[in-house]
Formats: sequence, C-alpha cells, structure tokens
Amino acid sequence: MSQAGPHPGGQQMPGHEDLRQRIEVRIRRLERASLAGLWSMVLFLLVSFCAYENFTFLPDLSDDFRRMLGAPPPSEMISLALVIYAFSAIVGTLARMSRNIKPFRGLMHTAFFTAFYAFYYLSGVLPDNFWAVFFAGLSVMGLENYYLWAHSNEALHKEREMLDRLRGGGE
Amino acid sequence: MLSSINSRAIVPVACAVTGFVIACCVLLYTFVKGDLITGEIHHAADLADTVIKSTRYAMLHDDRETLSQIINNIGDQNQVEHVRIFNKKGLIMFSRDGSEVNNFIDKTAAGCNECHAESKPKRKLGAMDQARQFTNKDDHDVLAITAPIYNEPECSNAACHFHDAGQSLLGTLDIGVSQAPLKKTLTQLKGRMIMFSGMVLVLTVGAVCALLYRQVFLPIKQLVDFTEKAPGDSLDYDFPQVSGEVARLANAFKQMTVRVKELEDRQDKSREDPSTEPLP
Repeated sequence: MSQAGPHPGGQQMPGHEDLRQRIEVRIRRLERASLAGLWSMVLFLLVSFCAYENFTFLPDLSDDFRRMLGAPPPSEMISLALVIYAFSAIVGTLARMSRNIKPFRGLMHTAFFTAFYAFYYLSGVLPDNFWAVFFAGLSVMGLENYYLWAHSNEALHKEREMLDRLRGGGE
Repeated sequence: MLSSINSRAIVPVACAVTGFVIACCVLLYTFVKGDLITGEIHHAADLADTVIKSTRYAMLHDDRETLSQIINNIGDQNQVEHVRIFNKKGLIMFSRDGSEVNNFIDKTAAGCNECHAESKPKRKLGAMDQARQFTNKDDHDVLAITAPIYNEPECSNAACHFHDAGQSLLGTLDIGVSQAPLKKTLTQLKGRMIMFSGMVLVLTVGAVCALLYRQVFLPIKQLVDFTEKAPGDSLDYDFPQVSGEVARLANAFKQMTVRVKELEDRQDKSREDPSTEPLP
C-alpha cells in the first residue's frame, strides 16, 4: 500500500482521495453483503411460518389445476431429495470455508427450501415433514450465513484498517 | 463472542451437525411411522378377510344366530372397537353394538366416500383405500377397514334366499381396531429417537470441541504465552510442549528472537567500539 502513504513534500498523492473513496465504497458493499444473508434467512423463516400453518391462506387447488400439475412425486422421493440437497449444501459450504472461497449471497437456498415445502404441500404430507425441511433449512442457511458474515467481517476489518492507515498517513 | 478462534471453529460444526441430524431424524421418524401404519392397515385388512371367511358358512346357510354370535365374539376382543355388517343398501344387519342394528349407515361418512364419492360406486378397492383413520365417540383413535362381501356362485345358487347372479355386492363388513398400541409404539420410538439424536449431537459436538481444544487451542495458548514473555527473558525455558506445525512456529519464533538478540548485541558493540564491523 505504498500509494497510501503521504507525499514526501507533505502533500497527498493525486490518487489518495480516489483510493479512500474506493475503500469506502468497498466497505459499504461489504456491509450490505453481510446483511444480505440476514434477509434471505428472514424470508425463509417467513415461508416456514406459512408452511407451519399448512399454507391455509392459499385457496384450495381446483381439480382441473391439480390435473394440470399431474400426480405429485412420492413423499419418499421428496425426502430423499431433501436429504441429498441438505447434505451436499452443507458439504459445499464447508468446502468453500476451508478453501476461503467467496461465500454465496443469493436467495438460492431459500428458493429450494420453499420448493420442498411446496412439494410436500402438494403431496398432502407437509405437516408430517415440516420440521425436517425447517431444520434442514436452518442448518444449511445458518451455516452459509455464518460464513458470509465471518467472511464479510474479516474483509471489512482489513478495509477499515487500510482506511485508518490512509487517514493516519494523510494527516 | 464470535471473534475468538474457539467459537469460529465450533459454531459451524455445531450448526451443520445439529440441523442435519434433527432433519434426518424427523424424516426417519416419518418413514417409520408410514411403514408402521401401512403394516397396521394390511394387518387390519387381513383381519377383515378372516372375519368374512369365518362367517361365510353361516351366511350360506342363512344362519343369522351363529353369524350374530361370531360378530359378538370378535367385537369382544380387546383391540376391536367396532364390527358390523351392513347390506348393499347400507342397512346394518349385524353389529357388536346392538343399538346400531336396523339403522342405515351414513354413506357420506369417512370410509364410505372411497366408493360412494361418485354417482356410480366403485366395485373394487385396494387394502389402502379400504382403510380410514378417525377418532370415535369414546375419543379412541380407530383404524377401520371396510371390506366388501361379493356375490359368489354358491350364494346365488343357494336355495335359502334371494341373491340373484347379477348382484355383485351383497354387503360390507366394517371392522375398526384401536390405534392405541400403534400410538404407544410411535411415542416410544419418538422418545428413543430424541434421546439417540441428543446423544449423537452431544458426542459429535463434544468430540470436535475436545479435539480442537487439545490439538489446536491449547498449543496456540501455550505458544501465545511463550511469545508474550517479557523482553530479556530466556526462551530456553518453558518451551511449549507442542508438536507439529505449532512446534515449528514456536521454534521459528525462538530462532527469530535469538537472531534479533544477536543483532542487538552487535549493534551495542559497534556503538561502544567503532572498529567493530558494522551491521549489514
């Protein structure tokens, strides 16, 4: 970070302010990123709450609509898919953690677990399997969000240190 | 709280293991519950078949007294909640509960719907479709089977009464067995699974914590204590009892300190005696 140091003549280097602004932008982006995981978790909890109530707010599906959707998959197949998905998601996150690869930020896990709730609902076995989806989701998303939070915090710490050094040098 | 290396290492492990084990246990419980209920339904369907076969001779001879006695004896069994035979029109002909006899059955009730949902009733049902689960007026959970009694050549040819060959269904046997033993088994299974999962979780998370503490945190703590010694303290003593990478790190730190000390000594000497070779 030699460019962050003060100019020998006491004046700041021309890119000094630019660099400071870029660091501040990166800090804001990292702060937003660490919160993004929280939003996906909140969305998952909201969907879980609706699923716990067995989606009672939804109107009953008409026979024509059910015929259009076709026969629901057997609940054993959905459960098998859930176990495989949760297992591979946990292993994937742990692998990313060990290799320090950038964590996933999107709503993909929320979408997948919502799909599992929907499949169980359409098969008519949601009350029996609700807690399985809920705990699998909590585990996968908790781990992913923890990694996102830890990764963002670490990067934030480095950026803030850099900014402090830059400010200290600029004075 | 989450900034220490202990929590950073243990939280992900605890989070992943706990959630996954609970989810798998819930799914396993659902599978076992489904299998037990299916087994119970097949058992009840076999029981209904046995009752129909046992009463066949009495029906062929139109021996209503014997038939009524068989139904009463079956109904007296511990797990049997109700047993009744009604004719094609739904009129109850025989029942363990005498007050039901000569009353019509409610065709819209659960169990009747399977055949009577459409305008033309279904002729054949599988074992799973014949079953229904409900709570009766005594607040007992019941698994009931409705088994049709079909017309056979011996029935239509018999001289005793009036079944013609074109009539496919003569009546229906409805037998309900208590689900209390099944519920008790499921409750025991749930309790054992919760206990087993708890033990697996405690052991897994505990073992990971213990190993991390012994293999990582304790050597790091010893290393930190070693490196935080006051300047001038001899590093030959209290060398941490560690091995592997942490020992290499401790050795590297020790060598670095020795080199720094040598350099400082040489610097001091060069200040005192300018003829000494200066530091590079």
